[in-house]
Amino acid sequence: MACLGSVRLCARVEKLCQIGQNAQVRRKASSVRLKQLVDQPLTRSAVKSCQAAAAGSSRLLSSVRSQQPGSLPEYRIDPYQLVDDDLKNVHLDVQEELRRHTGHDELYTIAQYYFDGQGKCLRPMLCLLLSHALNFHIHKKDVPLSDKQKRVAMIAEMVHSASLIHDDVIDCSDFRRGKPSVNVLWNHKKVAMSGDFILAVASILIARINNDDVTICLGQVLTDLVQGEFMQLGSKETENERFTHYLTKTYRKTASLIANYLKAESMLAGADEGLTELAFQYGRNVGLAFQLVDDLLDFVASSSALGKPAAADLKLGLATAPVLFACEKYPELNAMIMRRFQEPGDVEHAFELVHKSQGLEQTQFLARKHCIEAQRLAERIAESPYQKGLLVVTDLVLNRMK
Amino acid sequence: MLSSKVNRLLAQRGPLIARSMTARSAGVCQAHLHTVGAQRGAVSQHAQNPKPDWTKAVSEAEKIVGYPTSFLNLRWLLSDEIANVALHLRKLVGSNHPLLKTAKGLLYSGKNNMQAWGLIVLLLSKAAGHHNVNEMEEDKAAGVLHSQRSLAEVTEMIRTSHLVHKGLVNIHPGLVEEGVALNDMTFGNKIALLSGDYLLSNCCVELAALRNQEITELMSSAVRDLTESEFVGQRDQQNNPVPSHPSECSPVDEWTLRSELSGGRLLGKSCEGTLRLGGHSKEFSQEGYKFGKHLALAWQACLDMEPFLPGSQHSAGTAFSLVSAPVLFHLQYDSSLYDLIQVGAENVHDVDYAKIQSIVSKGPGLAMTKRLRQEHAQKAMEVLAAFEQNDARTALSNIIVAMGEL
Repeated sequence: MACLGSVRLCARVEKLCQIGQNAQVRRKASSVRLKQLVDQPLTRSAVKSCQAAAAGSSRLLSSVRSQQPGSLPEYRIDPYQLVDDDLKNVHLDVQEELRRHTGHDELYTIAQYYFDGQGKCLRPMLCLLLSHALNFHIHKKDVPLSDKQKRVAMIAEMVHSASLIHDDVIDCSDFRRGKPSVNVLWNHKKVAMSGDFILAVASILIARINNDDVTICLGQVLTDLVQGEFMQLGSKETENERFTHYLTKTYRKTASLIANYLKAESMLAGADEGLTELAFQYGRNVGLAFQLVDDLLDFVASSSALGKPAAADLKLGLATAPVLFACEKYPELNAMIMRRFQEPGDVEHAFELVHKSQGLEQTQFLARKHCIEAQRLAERIAESPYQKGLLVVTDLVLNRMK
Repeated sequence: MLSSKVNRLLAQRGPLIARSMTARSAGVCQAHLHTVGAQRGAVSQHAQNPKPDWTKAVSEAEKIVGYPTSFLNLRWLLSDEIANVALHLRKLVGSNHPLLKTAKGLLYSGKNNMQAWGLIVLLLSKAAGHHNVNEMEEDKAAGVLHSQRSLAEVTEMIRTSHLVHKGLVNIHPGLVEEGVALNDMTFGNKIALLSGDYLLSNCCVELAALRNQEITELMSSAVRDLTESEFVGQRDQQNNPVPSHPSECSPVDEWTLRSELSGGRLLGKSCEGTLRLGGHSKEFSQEGYKFGKHLALAWQACLDMEPFLPGSQHSAGTAFSLVSAPVLFHLQYDSSLYDLIQVGAENVHDVDYAKIQSIVSKGPGLAMTKRLRQEHAQKAMEVLAAFEQNDARTALSNIIVAMGEL
C-alpha cells in the first residue's frame, strides 16, 4: 500500500492525466486522492468480492455494491433500466437496417453476427442516457428522444461492431463474447467486406440524419479508430514515450467513439458549445476509464467471465497500462515489451511480474481518476434520474467484471 | 519523397518477388481477377509502351482538368500512417502476400484504370459546367469546383480501398504451413485490412467536409455496392468468382450484375454526384449516372477481352478471370467448357488456362464481348451528345474511342 503513495507515481499520474489534453485538470490536493486509495482495498480483492456479490448477474451490474467511499446514495439507479425502452430493440433495429441494404444472405449473416444481444451495449446506452439527461437539462422537463437521437445511439453500436469484426481478422482471435469469432467461421475476405458493409450502412444512416456537423463529428471517429490500430503496431523506446503512446492509442481506439457520439447526441439535443464540450469530455473520460479497466481485467478476470481468453493482450504482444506501470518496479519488463513478449515464457513471466507489482492498483487508480472527472462533469448537468444515471455509469465502468 | 522511396524499394525487389512467386506456385497470391488488367498495365510500362492512342487520349485529358489525376493519390501517400505502412510493407517483401502486388500496381500508376476514374469524374464535371457563383469554391484554371475534385479523389480512394481489401488472403487450415509463412500471411492481412480502412475513413472525412448529406449518402451506398459484389455467385476458397452453370442464368445478366456491383455503380454514382455538386438537376444528374455506369461496363468488357486478343500481352497459361465476358459467352454457346472450369471450383488456379484460352479464342465469345463493349460505349456516348461542345466533352469521347481500339 505504502508504495502507492510514492511521490514519483503521483507526479507521473498527474502528468498522465494532463496528456489527455484536458485543460481542466483538477487542483484538488493529491492527498485527498491518496486517502481514497488507502481506503480502497486492493483492487484484486475488490474485484473478487465484486465477483462474489454479483455472481450470475450479467447486465445488472449496478446491483454490485459500490466500493467507493461515500458512494452516491443513488447507487441503486440502473442506467440500463432507465433507457431500456429504446435500448432493448437496438439489435433488432440494426438487423433490420442491414437486411434492408442487402439481398445477399451470406453478407447479411456475417454482418449481423455480433448483433445478437449478448454485448454490453455500453455505447448506445450512454448515448441514450446522455440524450435524455440533456433534453431534461435544456427543456427543464422530461422530453422524449427524437428519432435522430435514437439513430445515433444505434449507429454507435454498428460502428463499434464493424471495428470488432475487423479487429478479429487483424488479431486472428478465436473467441468473442463466448462464441467463435467471425474470422473463424467465414472466409476472411468476406469478413473484411462485411465490416465495410456495416460501415457503409452506418454512413448512409449518418447522412440521413442530415446534420453537417454531426456527420463531420462522427467521421472523425473512423479516422481515430484506424490510427489507433496503426499505433498498436508500433511501440516506443522509452518509458515516458510509451505511456503517452499508450494513452493516445487508448483515446483513439476506444474513447474517441464514445466522446464523439456523445458530442453528436448533444448537438442533436440543441446544446450550446459549452454543453457540447462537456458531453465530449464526459465521454472521453468514461471511455478512457472503460479501456483502462478492460486492460486490467485482462489480467484478473477469468476467461469465462470475459468470453475471450485471459492475458490476450500479452499474447498479442501488447503492453497495456498494468505492464507499463509494473515496469517501474521490474525494469526487466522493458526488454520483453520491446520484443513484444515473443520469447517462450515471456507471457507467463510478465503476467507474474504484473501481479507482483502495483501495476493493477495503479491502473485502477488512473481509471478512477477519469471516472471522478466524468462525475464532476455530469454533476454540472441539471438533476434528473438520467443525470444520476450518468453518475452511476462511472461506478459500473470501474467495478465491472466483464 | 516517400513514395519514390517505396517505388524504388519495390522496383528493386520486384523481379525477386516475381521469381519467388512463380517458384512457389501456391496460387494463393495470383492476381485477384478483376485487377489483372490493371496490374498488367503496370508491368507493361517496362516491357513496352501502351498503345499510343490511349496514352494520348488520357494525357491530353489530364491537361484539361489541371494536373495528372494520379497525383490525387500522393496526398495520402505522404501521411504518417502510410509512412508506417511502407515500413511494414518492407517486412513483407519476399513473402508472397498479394498485398505487395496491389501496392505495386498502385504505386507504378501506369495507365491503368485506377487513376483514370478520378479523371473521368473531373472531365464530366468540366464538360457539364457548374452553376456555382462563389468564386472561392472554384478551381478556376481547371474549371471544376474544389468539391468536385474532392469527390474525384474519394472515388479513387473507395476503389483503391476495395482492391486492397479484396487482396486479403483467406487463411484457412492447411493453406500454408505454421511458422514464418503463416506469420507473413497474417501480417499481410493485418496491413491490408488497416490500409483499406485508412482509405475508407479518409473518404468519410472528406465526404463529411463537403457538408452535403445527399452526396455522402450516395457515395456510402457505392461502398455498400462494392462490398456486395464480393458475395455474388459461386466462389473458390480465396473468394475468386467462378461462373454459374450456363443453364442457371444468362451470361449477360450474370456479367452485368457482377460488373455493375464491382465498379459500374461506383463510377455511375460519382458521376451523378459530381453533377449534383455542380448544381445540376436530379434528372440531369441521373444522366451522369448512366454515363459513368456504361463507361465502366464498356471498360470492363475491354479488360475482359485482353487475354483472348491475337497478339495480346497476356502470356499464355497465366490466370484470367473465369467470369470475364468471353468465357461466359462461350459457356452459353458450348456448355461443355463448364467441365474444364469446374476443376477450379476450390481454387481457380487449378484450371488449365492455356486450354480455356485457346477454346474461347476460337469461339464466338470474343466477338460477342466486342459487341457488348460497343453497346455500352454507345450508351455512354449518347449521354455525352446532350452536353454542349467543349474540350472536356471531346476528351471524354476521345477516351471512349481510344478504348475501342485497345
